Amino acid sequence: MSRPVEAVLVAAACVVAALGVATVRFASGSWLDAQVFATLAAFGVAFGGLHLAVLRWAPGADQLLLPLTGFLAAIGFAEVFRIDPELANIQRWSLLVAAAAGAVVLRLLRREGLGALRRYRYLFLAGAVLLLLLPLLPESWPIHGATVNGSRLWVRARIPGLSRALSFQPGELAKVFLVVFLASYLADRAPAMAVTDRRLGPLRLPEPRHLAPVVVAAGAAFLVLVYQRDLGASLVIFALFVTMLYAATGRAIYLGLGAGLTVVGGVVGYVAFAHVRRRVAGWLWPFADYFDTGYQVAQGLFALGSGSLTGAGLGLGRPDLIPAATTDYIYAAIGEELGLAGTVAVLTAFALWVAVGFGIALRSKDRFRKFFATGLTTLVGLQSAVIVAGVLRLFPVTGVTLPFLSYGGSSLLASMIAVVLLARVSHEERP
Amino acid sequence: MPALFLNLLKVLFIVLLYAFLWQVARAIRASLGPVGAGGRRPPSEVVVIRGEKGRGERVKLRAGGHVIGRAAEADIPIDDPYASEFHARVALVDGRALVTDLGSTNGTYVNGRRLGQAPTPLEKGDTVQIGKTILEVR
Repeated sequence: MSRPVEAVLVAAACVVAALGVATVRFASGSWLDAQVFATLAAFGVAFGGLHLAVLRWAPGADQLLLPLTGFLAAIGFAEVFRIDPELANIQRWSLLVAAAAGAVVLRLLRREGLGALRRYRYLFLAGAVLLLLLPLLPESWPIHGATVNGSRLWVRARIPGLSRALSFQPGELAKVFLVVFLASYLADRAPAMAVTDRRLGPLRLPEPRHLAPVVVAAGAAFLVLVYQRDLGASLVIFALFVTMLYAATGRAIYLGLGAGLTVVGGVVGYVAFAHVRRRVAGWLWPFADYFDTGYQVAQGLFALGSGSLTGAGLGLGRPDLIPAATTDYIYAAIGEELGLAGTVAVLTAFALWVAVGFGIALRSKDRFRKFFATGLTTLVGLQSAVIVAGVLRLFPVTGVTLPFLSYGGSSLLASMIAVVLLARVSHEERP
Repeated sequence: MPALFLNLLKVLFIVLLYAFLWQVARAIRASLGPVGAGGRRPPSEVVVIRGEKGRGERVKLRAGGHVIGRAAEADIPIDDPYASEFHARVALVDGRALVTDLGSTNGTYVNGRRLGQAPTPLEKGDTVQIGKTILEVR
């Protein structure tokens, strides 16, 4: 069995990355150099390797998932390279590690398939909780938590013989673990949860004990908000719970309940925490306090505005003026240098990616695989929607990465694992 | 670098992005299978998509037709208290798929509309509801 469509499109994605880097090089006046070839090589090895891994261990998988992933990673990489070649160097290695991890996951699942994940759901729940708590480790330990920009999301490990501390964000992987648990849990419980027998006026409510998971989810998300001061992760985790409950039961009451709890949580957060108030102020009045709370939002808006239709050109704008341009605000940086044309291309690719993901969910053969594919797709789609909406000022900025595009190894690793798991679901749909 | 060259490069990059997306869209279109001319081919089978028993069961349409009903002797027996013993018949006639209500008590519905006495042509994607059982024509 061969996968010609995937092979050709993956190669095209590698060319996009190399051409992007070459354009940046030309703009700064230098000629084709080692960076361009290193990029081509890294993308070729990473996505070519994943292509071969899928060919070998999940040959029935959808052929468009991997190319779209490569395409998004290529645009993101070109922009990261343009802003900071040093970071791009690290990102190249992260890409190789993420691709290797993806291949390993595919190989581990080659015989047992996803059924194995379903059986060990409480192991994944425990893993997710552990990963979420990991950044709270005290600073004096060899593996310890670290506070960056006021959020305690990072874990640093000092490894003997390595000059730099190895740091990662365990929360990124925790989200994927949570999807495994939720899909497995809901696959067993959904039929009972879909029954809405109790009446409260015009509302039909499910049994109270079936609402317990939603309340637990809200609680967990709120704890993340309080202890780690991470608005984005708490929102994504909570919305993931609610969306999966809705997908599993088809009852709009869960959506309504989720929206209500989000509003309550938002109001409580606004009243109780200064960092939430700052985000809201930056969102509603970015120019009222331009040099402080509004600075990032305002810079992002300037970048998008000056980018206009086709942008300044890669390497010709000033995206370095935006705080966090390589991570949360990479969308604004792309808007400045590739314009509306570039950002619409990114959004189209995400839309197609999500469509492919939900298509896999619709065609899957059992409830667990359906919910699993739905959860993985929702995770990536939701996170990109939340941060893009933040950059476009439709929503307060909540500080999550744009999957596949942002600089950051943990995010790339977690997203890549989500991709191979989706590929595996897609492979297993065939008898 | 001359500005013209850089501008061309920028446009080339954006064109490449959209060429890629265009190819992906085409591949998605291809994976959906033939539409258009192929869609006008007559339906070839009916599939039980909702019912007490036999969900997912598919039956190839044939010229002689299949009788659907609660009776055990029906060609497509369905376990549905709202269905009549011999409820309706689906058949291929001159390359068209037709459904005929056999004088059932609760009626036969195509896409939610109750049928009269006359045989009714079916297209791909139509649903036929008998009691609480729903069949899809494919």
